[in-house]
Amino acid sequence: MESTENTDLFGRRLTRREALERGGAAALGLTLGGSLLSACDIGGGDGDGGGGEVVLWTEHTQPELGAMRKMITAYNKETDSKAKVVAVTGSETDIAKLTAAVRGGTGPDVYLLDRFTAAQRAEQGILEELTDFMEKDDGVESFKDQYLEFAWAEVEFEGKPYGLPFDTDARGLWHNKDLLKKSGVDPAELDPAKGPPTVDKVREIARKVDKKDGGAYTQVGFIPWTDQGWHYTWGFAFGGDFYDESGCKVTPTDPGVVAGFQFLYDWAKEMGPKQAMAFLSAHAQCTGPQTCNFTTPQESWPFLRGIVGMDVSGDWPINWMRQYGKGIDWGVTYIPVPEEGAESATWAGGWSVVIPKGAKNAEGAWELMKWFAGPEGQRSYSEQTSHLPTVKSLLEDQSLFDKNHQFFRKLLDVAHSRPPLPVGALYWDELTVALEAVALNRKQPQEALEQVAARVQPQLDKFC
Amino acid sequence: MSAVFLAPLYWMVSTALKGHDELLEFPPTVFPGSPQWSNFRDAVEFIPFGTFFLNTLTITVFSVIGAVISNLLVAYGFSHVQWPGRDFLFYVVVATIFIPFPVIIVPVFILMAKLGWVDTFLPLIIPAWLGNPLYIFLLRQYLLQIPRDLTDAARVDGAREWQVLWRVVLPLSKPALAVVAIFAGVFAWNDFLGPLLYLQSEDNYTLAIGLQFYRSQYDVQFNLLMAASTLVVLPLVVLFLAFQKQFIEGATMGSLK
Amino acid sequence: MTDRETRLTLEVPGVARETGRPRLLRRRLGTLERRRLLTGLAFISPWLVGFLAFLVYPIVSNVWYGFTDYSGFGEAEFVGLDNYSRMKGDTLFWKSLYNTLYYTILAVPVGVIVAIGLAVAMNQRVREVSIYRAALFLPSVLPLFALSFIFIWLLNPRYGLVNHALAPFGVEPINWFGDPTWARLSIVLLAQLGAGQFAVIFLAGLRAIPTTLYDAAAIDGAGTWSKFRKITIPLLTPLILYDVIIGIGFGLQVFTQAYIITQGGPDNSTLFYVLYLYNQAFRYGDFGYAAALSCVLFVISLFLALIVFWTSRRWVHYELE
Repeated sequence: MESTENTDLFGRRLTRREALERGGAAALGLTLGGSLLSACDIGGGDGDGGGGEVVLWTEHTQPELGAMRKMITAYNKETDSKAKVVAVTGSETDIAKLTAAVRGGTGPDVYLLDRFTAAQRAEQGILEELTDFMEKDDGVESFKDQYLEFAWAEVEFEGKPYGLPFDTDARGLWHNKDLLKKSGVDPAELDPAKGPPTVDKVREIARKVDKKDGGAYTQVGFIPWTDQGWHYTWGFAFGGDFYDESGCKVTPTDPGVVAGFQFLYDWAKEMGPKQAMAFLSAHAQCTGPQTCNFTTPQESWPFLRGIVGMDVSGDWPINWMRQYGKGIDWGVTYIPVPEEGAESATWAGGWSVVIPKGAKNAEGAWELMKWFAGPEGQRSYSEQTSHLPTVKSLLEDQSLFDKNHQFFRKLLDVAHSRPPLPVGALYWDELTVALEAVALNRKQPQEALEQVAARVQPQLDKFC
Repeated sequence: MSAVFLAPLYWMVSTALKGHDELLEFPPTVFPGSPQWSNFRDAVEFIPFGTFFLNTLTITVFSVIGAVISNLLVAYGFSHVQWPGRDFLFYVVVATIFIPFPVIIVPVFILMAKLGWVDTFLPLIIPAWLGNPLYIFLLRQYLLQIPRDLTDAARVDGAREWQVLWRVVLPLSKPALAVVAIFAGVFAWNDFLGPLLYLQSEDNYTLAIGLQFYRSQYDVQFNLLMAASTLVVLPLVVLFLAFQKQFIEGATMGSLK
Repeated sequence: MTDRETRLTLEVPGVARETGRPRLLRRRLGTLERRRLLTGLAFISPWLVGFLAFLVYPIVSNVWYGFTDYSGFGEAEFVGLDNYSRMKGDTLFWKSLYNTLYYTILAVPVGVIVAIGLAVAMNQRVREVSIYRAALFLPSVLPLFALSFIFIWLLNPRYGLVNHALAPFGVEPINWFGDPTWARLSIVLLAQLGAGQFAVIFLAGLRAIPTTLYDAAAIDGAGTWSKFRKITIPLLTPLILYDVIIGIGFGLQVFTQAYIITQGGPDNSTLFYVLYLYNQAFRYGDFGYAAALSCVLFVISLFLALIVFWTSRRWVHYELE
C-alpha cells in the first residue's frame, strides 16, 4: 500500500486528503463513542468498589429488605464500616442477575443465596471458598459448631464451606379462624394440641369453606399446591424420599413422593383444576403453581385478603400478620398427615451469605458476613422478621419467640431439609414443572415424576 | 375496530384512576367511580420512577444520537461514494436484517463481560452507534433520491467527501433522519431484553425492567402499576401524535420502493 | 447481474442504476480506486465494526461454545457433540420449539389477515381516516412490557374488561393466562396489537394500486370480492412477503410477553424457545448448552427464511399477469 502512495505527486496529495476524510468519518464513529464512555460513567455509575465499601445483594423484598437495611446500619455504626444493601431481581432458583454480574466483573461482595442451591452455585464456580478465611479466624470447626447441622451441610460442597448459614424456617398449616367459624367449622379442630389433622379432615373442612359464584370460586377452603405447598412439602408429608445418597440417585418416583403428588392430583380433580387455577389467576394474578407462591405480603397473598381458609406457609408471615393482618384471627397447625396417627413432616429451608467470585472487597465481605450471619445479626433479623435463626445458641433463647413462633421453632427439631445437591436448583425447578402438570391434571403423577428423573439424573451423573 | 385497539390503553388509564376498593369490585366498573389522581403521585413515590426515567432517557438520547450519526455515515458510504465491493457489502447489510437477535445473546454477553461493560449503559448504547441494517437500508433508499449532480457539483468545487455529506446531503436528508431518530428512540425506550441482560443494580434500571422488578418483588397494586405504565407510555403517545407522519412514513418506507 | 437484482424481493433500485459507472474508473485508475475503497470503508466503518464485533464474532463463537461445557466461569471444556445429543432427549427443548413454531405459524397468518382487514377498512375514503389510522397504529409503538402489564389486568378472569365484555354473550369466564390451552392464544392475541404497523403498510400498498385496474375489471363485470381476489391480493403479495418475513423473525424471538406474564407457564405452555435459551444461559449458567440452542435457532430461522423466499416465486406477483 505504501508503494502506491509514492507513485506521483497527485496521488500523494489525494492520499493526505482522503486520509483526512477517512479520519473524519471514523472519528465521528469512534471518538464520539469513546467520549460516551465517560458520559455513561456519570449516568450509569454505581461505580463503587474501592474504599472500604461492602455491597450486599439480596433478592428479598419488604419487609425483610427493610430489616436487613436496619441491620447494616447498625453494623456500620458499630464497626465504623461502609456497607450497603442493594435489591436485585431473582427468586429461589433464579440467580440470573448474580451470574451475569459476576461474569461481568460487577458482582457484589456479599450475596444472600438460597442455601440449598449453594452446592450447585459452588460447583458452577460462582462462589469463593471460605476455608482460608475461617482458618484465619477460629477455624472451620468452630464455625461449624455454631450452626444447626443441616444448615451447615447445605453450605458445603465437596466437604468445603462456601457460605455461612443465615436464617431458617419451617412450614405449617395456616388457617383463618374467622373464616372457618363463618363457614360452620370449629377452629378448635385444627388446634395443634390435637396433633396433626389428617388429609381427610382437612378436605372435609375445605369443602365447607369453598364458595362459588356462577361456577367461579370466590372463596376457597384450601388449595394445597400453592404458596409453600411445594413438591417437597407433600413428598415429605407422605413419607417420601427425594434422594438416595448411597446410589447417587435422585428419587422423584419414590412411592411416598408419588403418593403426595397423587393427593394433589385428586384434590385438583375434585375442585376442578381449571376452576382452582382461575381462582388463583383472578385473585393473585398468577398463572401456575410456579408463580402462585407468595414471598411478598399484602395484595397477592389471598390468605391476607380473607378469602382462603387454609394455606401452607412458613413462619415469616407471622410478621406480616402483625403488620398487615387487619385483625384476622389466625392459627397454625401441623402439615396434614395421610392417616390418623402418622407422624407429621415438614421441611426447613433458609438462606445463606456467600462471597461471589471477583468480589472487590472480600476481606470486608467476610467481616460483614460473620456479623450478619452471627448471633448478633441473626438475633436482630429474627426479632424483626420472625424468621428462625440457624445459630444454635439463639434457638435456646425462649424470649426470641412468641407463641406462634414457638410452634415453628419446635418443628425445626423434626424438620426435613432438601438434599444439598450440585443440581439442587435444577431438581427444584423440574419438580415444579411436574407439580404444575399434576395440579392442572395434565399428567399423572407417575409420568410427571419419571420425567423429572429423566431430566435431572444425567446432570447429576457428572458428579457421581 | 379502532375502539378495540384503544381498549387496552383505555383500560390502563381507567385502572390507573381506580381506588383500591374499586379495583376489586365485581363486576368491574368500566368508568372509575371517583378518579384517584393521587395514584399517579403514589406510583411515582412508591417506585423510584425518577431514577428509572432518567436512566431510560439517558440511554434513549445517546442511542438516538448514535443511530443518526452512524447510520447517516454508513448510508452515505453506501449511496454517494463510489467504491468497489460496495454493492456486495450492501447485500450483506440487507441479509443481516433477518438474523434474529436472540441467537447471539450468549456470546455478545460474554463479549460485553470481557469489556467490563456489564451493569453499565454501554451495552445498550454502543450498538446503536454501530449502525443498524434496517435504518441503513431506509436511509440509503432516501439518499439515492438526492440527485448525483448536486454532490458531484460540490466535489468539483473541491469539497471533500465529509463536506459533501455535511453541506449537501445532510440538509436534504433531514426527514429521513427524523424517521431513524424516532425509530431508534422508540426502540431504546421500549427495549426489555437488553436491560434485563445487562443492568443488575436497581440504581441502573430502566423503566422496562424497573417496573417489572417492582411488580415481581414488591407486589405493586395494579392501579399503581397502571399509573406508572401510563407515565411510561405518555411520552410515546405525545411523540406519536406530534410526529404521526414520520412514524407512518417510516413504517411504509421499509417495505415500499 | 442487473437483471437478477431487480427481481430480488427487497428492491434495491440504486444498486441497479449505478453499478455501471465505477467500472470505467476502475479500469483506468487502480490507485484512485483503492483510495475510493478506503474512503468507502471509512464511511461504513461503524457498521463494519458492529458487523464484525456483534455478528460475525458472536456467530463464530456460538458455534465454538456450542461444542463446550461452559458455565460462564473458568475454562470452556470441549465436549464434542454432547450438547446436541442432549437436545434429542430434552423434552423441554422440544416443547419450547413446538410452542415457538405454534406461535409463529398462528401469529403470522393471523397478523397478515388482521392487517389487510384493517387496511381495507381504512381505505374507505372518509374524512376521519387519519384518526382511525392513528388509533390503529398507536399500540404498535408502545412498549411490549407495558402492554403485557395491561394485558394481565385486561384479561384477569374476574376483574378484567374482556371477560366482562364477553359475559353478555353468554361466554363463560376464560382464564386467559392461567389455562394452558388459552395462554399461548392469549399471547398471539397480544401480538395483534402490533398489526397497525403493517396495516399502514398495506394501506399504502392499496393506495398505490391504479384505479384504472378496478375500472377495467368492473367493465368485465367483476364483483367486489372477485376484484379483491384477482387484483388487490396479488398486488399486495410483495408486502405480504415483507410482513411474513418480519413476522417470522419476531415470532421466533418472542420473549418479553412470556417472561413478564407467565414465566413460561402454565404447564410450560408458554415456554418459548428464547425463554428456554435464556433460562439455560442465565438461570442454570449453562452457556455451552445455550450456545448450542442458539445455533439451532439460527439454522431454523435461516431455513424458514429460505423456504419463504423460495416459495415466494410462486405466490408473489410484482405485477398482474
